[in-house]
Amino acid sequence: MNRLQFACICILGLSVAGSAHAHHSMEGFDRAKNVTLVGTVKQFKWANPHSWIELEITNDKGVVETWNIEMTAPFVLVRAGWKSNSLKPGDKVTVVGHPQKSGEPGALFVSVTTADGQTLTDRPAGAPAQPAAPPAPAK
Amino acid sequence: MHKRFAITTAAWATFAASLVWAQAPSAQPAPAPPAQLGALAPSNIAKPRPAPPFDITGTWLHAMARDNPFTFTPPPDVKLTPAAQAQLDAAKKARAEGKAYHDDIGQCWPAGLPVLMTRVWPIAMIQKPTAIFMVSGFMNSVRIIYLDGRKHTDPDIIIPSFNGESIGHWEGDSLVVDTIGFVDDHHWIDNGIPASDQLHIVERMRLIGDGATLQIEYTFGDPKNWVGEWKVTKRWKRVDDTDITEASCLPDLNAHMPSVTSKSVNIH
Repeated sequence: MNRLQFACICILGLSVAGSAHAHHSMEGFDRAKNVTLVGTVKQFKWANPHSWIELEITNDKGVVETWNIEMTAPFVLVRAGWKSNSLKPGDKVTVVGHPQKSGEPGALFVSVTTADGQTLTDRPAGAPAQPAAPPAPAK
Repeated sequence: MHKRFAITTAAWATFAASLVWAQAPSAQPAPAPPAQLGALAPSNIAKPRPAPPFDITGTWLHAMARDNPFTFTPPPDVKLTPAAQAQLDAAKKARAEGKAYHDDIGQCWPAGLPVLMTRVWPIAMIQKPTAIFMVSGFMNSVRIIYLDGRKHTDPDIIIPSFNGESIGHWEGDSLVVDTIGFVDDHHWIDNGIPASDQLHIVERMRLIGDGATLQIEYTFGDPKNWVGEWKVTKRWKRVDDTDITEASCLPDLNAHMPSVTSKSVNIH
């Protein structure tokens, strides 16, 4: 099995399971919706089993909120072009994610665009974009 | 002379008393059973055994497909007990409400068998004549299948675990693995379907397709949770271009995961 085939299995996992490298339930995210967050990276964690971004944004009331952006495993991110230093504290970014159904400040990662205009997702280059409304999760 | 006699008498009395104490049956511990040679003891590995029909050594990944899902669904002829059915109904209701029902894996509880085997993380398997060692990329959970002819541990002293105690033997082209000794809580066959300390798993493992595919026929029994014989077959692909990595479920990592921290979503 080559790397592409391996990645394809992961993508199939995404479509079937809702999140290829989720080791737990993703029921709390509304995967039919996207939220766009413009803010500053407080921390980017490069770790197994999941990476995450801690993002500070100013909400519409002028209050600074910290959002946790849940990501997939680093080995998947590597195939999508990520490195451990792709994001650094202080970076001004725009993050797109599936929001929590509860309205709490947190989201499931879809993409990030950095100040220099580079966009990173968790899909390998050439893979189809993540649908706004994926199939119902199997778990 | 008197003094010497007194010392000698005292010494004999002490010796005699020690004999009586040593022979008192109530104070004698039961003799220890013969020690089981460890699976990696060179003298155990060196024992003469027939050549196994296959060597499972390699890195394997569950072959996700529509006819080979990672989930475990009871077949139609398996009937859940009322208590287990109530759990499954609650899980279905939670999902319909967009909530997570007893997402114990998300809270760092081990996946346990059989769920551990069908994660989206590869599993390193190393076969020796006496045992197969499996280390999952998922939380580095360890599973050992003993092949050295030992019996299951005495139920009075077996230590319950999430992966249980697996004993295997070869039958033709298959490895038949019998697993018992599971924990009684925080362990699930699938979301909402509990596993108990009565869980008994029998697996028939074969390599097919020129050794590139591992096939396991499962038979699950758990009288606390269902009636009937639950059978299902799953497949894995050999993945030669990857290795497992260290992965741990850590409190400070989990604190940044909205999926597991949200109190309004997670039902415990």
